[in-house]
Amino acid sequence: MNNLRILIADDHDLVRKGLRLLIEEHAGWTVCAEARSGREAIAQAEQCNPDIVVIDVSMPDLNGLEATRQIRKSCPKTEVLVITHHDSDEMAAEVLNAGARGYVLKSDSDEELAHAVEALARHKPFFTARVTEMLITSRENGSSNPVESMRRRLTVRELEVLQLLAEGKTVKETAAALGIATKTSDTHRTNIMRKLDLHSVAELVRYAVRNKLVEP
Amino acid sequence: MPGSLLHIRILLADDHPIIRRGVRNILEATGEYEVCGEAADGNKTLEMALRLHPDIVITDISMTPTNGLEVTRRLHGALPDAKVLILTMHDSAEMLRAAALAGASGYLLKSDAEELLVRALQTLNAGQRFVSPSFAPALVEQAFS
Repeated sequence: MNNLRILIADDHDLVRKGLRLLIEEHAGWTVCAEARSGREAIAQAEQCNPDIVVIDVSMPDLNGLEATRQIRKSCPKTEVLVITHHDSDEMAAEVLNAGARGYVLKSDSDEELAHAVEALARHKPFFTARVTEMLITSRENGSSNPVESMRRRLTVRELEVLQLLAEGKTVKETAAALGIATKTSDTHRTNIMRKLDLHSVAELVRYAVRNKLVEP
Repeated sequence: MPGSLLHIRILLADDHPIIRRGVRNILEATGEYEVCGEAADGNKTLEMALRLHPDIVITDISMTPTNGLEVTRRLHGALPDAKVLILTMHDSAEMLRAAALAGASGYLLKSDAEELLVRALQTLNAGQRFVSPSFAPALVEQAFS
């Protein structure tokens, strides 16, 4: 329980500041690194191997859910606590599917966030009453889960390309961001549009926004 | 010295406790501001403002059931001396215009808070308006005209 090393990932300075203050109030809890994007979170997690990652869903340059998936893969001992203002049953299911074992809404109290960290430190899942209710609703509805079905159709690389394009980057900028050739990046774009039956970049952006890959 | 006349009294409204904690920390580090209350929704904000008579209300826009713009509008009528600083992530010109129309004296983007919150409050306290520098001056003039 003592000496927890925590990585904070959120693109908003104020949120990171608030989280850091909350964490540092607890004896033995330290913030080992901060990240402002999903991609940065993965790199920082691999470098400092934290006990817990507290991560936001909506972040530029790879969202928190994809980052969670990759962190769980490369640092299997690291637990992930997702914090979000998206209050939906689909999102709750998505968070679980990504491999996070805690999910707290940004409007939840500081105490709940602290309890979540404590539970994850013991490798126990943590969900607030509100989230538990959403998870049950999601199961009962047999929710079609659009993000998950899209994930099954696209490769991780294609999802990365989709998010960067939806954030307004050109094919060339996307290639540079991912360290791949422009031609490869363009092939990914063509494949994404074919798989999702989209016919313009505007449609692609709308699709990404609707499925909460990026914020409107 | 909370309650001292030297302090500028602030009411803080945001539905995210983590954000309130961050803002409170920035304010308290200066020693010049006293956070006299915190509220997580619009109705509570109005109720506390009427009770506490803060000098400045810092409010988020996205709150339920009464949003920050509506809070601003009602505060402007009920407590004309209290100034309102909108603290938001909405960086659109329409939102800035709506805030100006509602009677806000300041509009600060959350991404600028760490650096500019204190300056924004000082500006408001001096009776002037403050808008995040990422908005073009011409646009700000237009919004407040």
